[in-house]
Amino acid sequence: MTDTEESGDRTAHPWPPVERTPRVGAREKVTGAARYGADHAPPGLAYAIPVVATAGKGRITGLDTAEAAAVPGVLLILSHLDDLGIAPAGYVMADGYAFQSLQPLLDDRIAYRGQPIALVVADTLVAAVHAAGLVRAAYDEEPFAVELDAAGTETVLQEEALPLPFLADVVVGDADGAYERSPLRVDAVYETGPQHQVPMELIGGVAEWHGDTLVVHEGTQSAGALRGGLARQLGIDPDRVQVITPYVGGGFGQKNSLQPHLAPLAVAARRLGRPVKLVLPRAHTFHAASFRPVSRHRVRLGADRSGRLLAAIHEVDQQASRRDLLPATYTEITSRLYGISSFRGRQRHVRTDVQTPGYMRAPFEHPAAFALESALDELACAAGRDPVELRLSNDAGADPVTGKPFSSRHLAACLRRGAELFGWAERPPDPGSMRETDGTLVGWGVAAGAYPVMTVPVLARLRARADGRVLAEVGGHEMGQGITTALARAVAGDLGIGVDRVDVVVGDTRVVPHHLTAGAWGTNSTLLAVHAALLELRARLGVPREGPVDVAAAVAAAGRSAPEQDGAEVVAEALTKGPGQPPEAVDRMRAGLVAPAGPEYPGHVAFSFIAHFAEVRVAPAAPRVRVSRVVSVADCGRVASPVTAEAQVRGAVVWGIGAALSEHSEVDPRFGGFVNADLADYVIPVNADVGRIEVAFVGEPDFTLNPTGVKTLGEVALVGVAPAIANAVFHATGRRPRSLPIRVEDLL
Amino acid sequence: MTSEVVTEFTVNGQAVRLDLDPRESLLDVLRERLGLTGSKKGCDHGQCGACTVHVDGRRVVSCLLPAVQVNGRSVRTIEGVAGPDGALHPLQQAFVDHDALQCGYCTPGQVMSGLACIAEGNAGADDDIREHMSGNLCRCGAYPGILAAVRAAAGRREG
Repeated sequence: MTDTEESGDRTAHPWPPVERTPRVGAREKVTGAARYGADHAPPGLAYAIPVVATAGKGRITGLDTAEAAAVPGVLLILSHLDDLGIAPAGYVMADGYAFQSLQPLLDDRIAYRGQPIALVVADTLVAAVHAAGLVRAAYDEEPFAVELDAAGTETVLQEEALPLPFLADVVVGDADGAYERSPLRVDAVYETGPQHQVPMELIGGVAEWHGDTLVVHEGTQSAGALRGGLARQLGIDPDRVQVITPYVGGGFGQKNSLQPHLAPLAVAARRLGRPVKLVLPRAHTFHAASFRPVSRHRVRLGADRSGRLLAAIHEVDQQASRRDLLPATYTEITSRLYGISSFRGRQRHVRTDVQTPGYMRAPFEHPAAFALESALDELACAAGRDPVELRLSNDAGADPVTGKPFSSRHLAACLRRGAELFGWAERPPDPGSMRETDGTLVGWGVAAGAYPVMTVPVLARLRARADGRVLAEVGGHEMGQGITTALARAVAGDLGIGVDRVDVVVGDTRVVPHHLTAGAWGTNSTLLAVHAALLELRARLGVPREGPVDVAAAVAAAGRSAPEQDGAEVVAEALTKGPGQPPEAVDRMRAGLVAPAGPEYPGHVAFSFIAHFAEVRVAPAAPRVRVSRVVSVADCGRVASPVTAEAQVRGAVVWGIGAALSEHSEVDPRFGGFVNADLADYVIPVNADVGRIEVAFVGEPDFTLNPTGVKTLGEVALVGVAPAIANAVFHATGRRPRSLPIRVEDLL
Repeated sequence: MTSEVVTEFTVNGQAVRLDLDPRESLLDVLRERLGLTGSKKGCDHGQCGACTVHVDGRRVVSCLLPAVQVNGRSVRTIEGVAGPDGALHPLQQAFVDHDALQCGYCTPGQVMSGLACIAEGNAGADDDIREHMSGNLCRCGAYPGILAAVRAAAGRREG
C-alpha cells in the first residue's frame, strides 16, 4: 500500500497517447442490461410511497391514516405519530451527510410545501399509491416566504454567518475607489431563477436487511454519505451498512448526499422483515432533494477607455432555507477570470421557506459567469471593442487573488481557437446587423468560464489476475460522466493491454470507501489514485516502471516467487489525496464526509477554463430564440478520455441552452413549493432544441497540478454557455437579457 | 379491492399470462412482475419517454398504458432488440459507435423510439429525426449522438 500525496515523478512514468476508447458500459446501457438502483427486485419486495405536506409552513394538527390503512395490501404507515428511532444525519456542508439538516417524519413541524409527512408501505405499488392518496392531514398554517423580496425573509452576510477563511468576501485592492475613478463603468443587476437538476433516474431505490446489515441499492453520487449517514441515523456501525450503486442515472448534484427518505425506508424494511422499494414520484423530487437557488448579482465593472479592467465589484444574494446555509463561492471565479487588480466580492444569504437549496451543475459558477460575462459584453459595447479582443486584453497572468501562479491557464488559447472554429472574424459588431431574408435575426455571442480544480482522497485497488485481466476497485461513482471509461483507459494504456481486459468497479462500499463524486473532481482524483496504484502494482509484479506488461505471465511469476500469495492474483493499493491535504482528510473520506482540496494548493491555484461561442436565431414574429450553433473549447489539462470528455461538453452545452432559454422552477407565493413540478412544465431541452455543437480541447497537460496532467471538465463545461447565448441574443436583437431564462416577452 | 383481470400477451416473443390489477401500468408489470427492468421510469406521466416500448410494432409510453390493454397483443422491449446470440441490433451498435448516451437511463427508450422513428419513415432528414426523437428526454444532453446514431442506422449520411 502506498500513501502518496503527489508523485512529481512524471518523466519516469509517461502517459501513453490517449486513444478514442468507446464508452465503457455502453453495451449494457443500449441493451437494457445495466442495473440501476430501483431495478433491484429481491423476493418478497414491498413498495413505499410518501405523502407530502400541502401547507406552505406550519404544524400538522391531525393526521388521519385510518382509511389508508384499510386499503387491502397496506402493511405500514410511518409518520411523526410513530417513534421511528431516527437520529439527525446532519447537513452535508456542516459535517453531516444529508442534503439538509431537516429529517421529515420526526415531528409535527412543516417547514415547506412538499415536505414528506408520512410513508405508506404496501404489498403492491398500486396499493401503496392508492393508500397514500387517502391519508388526510390538517394543518395550523403560518405565513411563509418563497421569494427573495417577500415579507418575512431574512438576509445574512456570509462572512458573518459562515466564518470560514475560504468563504470570506474576496477583497483585492480598493475596488470601490478604482471603480469610481474609472472612465468607463458598467453597473447592472443580473438574476438567475430557481432550477432543478431533474436527472432522468428518479430518486429512490431498495432497502433490505441481511441479518443486522442494511443493504441499500440506490443511485447516488455519494455512497459513503449514505453509509455514514444511515449508520448515524439508525445508530448502527457503518460497517453494517452497504451501499451498491454501480450505475447512476444522472446526478448533476441532486444525488450528492443522503436523501431523507432512506432512513424511514430502512426502518420500514426492518419492521416488516422485507425489502422495501421506494421510487419517488417525479413531482416529489422537486421538494425531496435540493435545487439551484435564486441568485441576484449586482456587478460593477470599471475600465479605462480601451476596455482594460481596473475594478470589479460583485455582490450576490443567494436564496437559502431557514435552517441551512449553502456556502456560496460565486466570487471565486469572478475574481479570477480576468486580470483585475481591484476586486471586491460580497455574498449574502436570503432565508426563505423552502427545502435547503444545494448543488446543481456549476452551482455558483454558472450564475456567476452569466452575471460577469454579460457585464463584460456590456463593457465591450461601451468601449467599442470586440468581445473576444476585450477578453484577451484582460487575461490574467498570476492569480489576482493570491498572487500565486495558476497551475496552468489556457483561457486565451480557448478564446483564439474557438474564434477560429466559429468564424468569429466575420461578425459585424452592431446588434441587429445579421438578418435573414425571412426577417430572422441572427446573433453571435461569446463568453468564458472557469471552475476550480479540486482533489479528494481516493483509495484505488488493482487486482492483476492470472488470466491476464485487471480489476480496478475505486472509490468513485459513474453518473454517466465517463469515469469508468477514463479509469479503464488509464489502466489499459499503462499496462499495454486492451481496455476489454480491464474491469472497473465503482459505487460499492463493500469494496473500498467512497468520497462524494461531484465538483468535477471524480476523474482527476481517481486517476491520481490509479496512477499510484499502477506503480505499486508494477513493483509487486516485479516489472519495470513503464512499458507493456504480460499480466498473466507476471502474475504467474509473482506467484512462484511469493508462495504465500495464492497465485491467482497480485493486489496493489494506493491512497491519494490532494496536495497539501492533512491526514484528517482521509479519515473524513472514510467516514463518508466531504474533504476536497483546492483550488488553492501550496504552490499554485488550479482552475479549468473554457470559451463558448453561440449563434442564435430569433424568429421575426414572436421572438422565439433558437440556438443553431455552438463552439466550445476547453482547457481541462490532459484529456483523459476523448469520447466521454466530448460528450460531457456537448451535454453541458445542452444544459446551457436549457438554462438560458427555458428552465425555471416556478413559485406561487400563495402556496409555496414549486408548481411546475413535472417534466412537461419544467422544460428541459429536447432533441429538436439542439443545433450543431462543436467541441475542442486545448489538451495541454497540467503536470504542475498532478502527475496525470488532468484537470477537471464536467462542471466548467457549463460555465459560460448561458451568457454566450444571452450575448448572442443581444447581438441579434439589441435587447440585453439580464435575467434567466430569457423569455419571449423579454424580447418583445 | 379491485378484481384482477386475466391478461395474456407476448413479450419479446414469449407468451405471458398474468392476473393484473387494472391500475397497473404496462411499465410496472414489465419491471416489477416480469423482471424486464430495461424499460425505465423517469416520470410515470408520459412526459419523458424512458419507458418507451413497442406494442404491435408501434411505440408507446408504457407508463401510460394500463397493462390489461395489451391483452392479445405483442410487446417488444429493449431486452428483445439484440439478436438471440447477443449480437447488437444495428441501431444499438450505432448508439455505441456515436456515443449516443451518457448515464444510460433514457437509452432503452431512445433506442425503442429510434427503431420506431426509422420504421415510421421519419428518419429522412436530420430535422425529422430531431422532431420525432423529441418525445424522449435525455438530461445528459446526448442528443447530437442520438441524432447521429439514428441517422446512421437509417443508412443516411449527415445532412
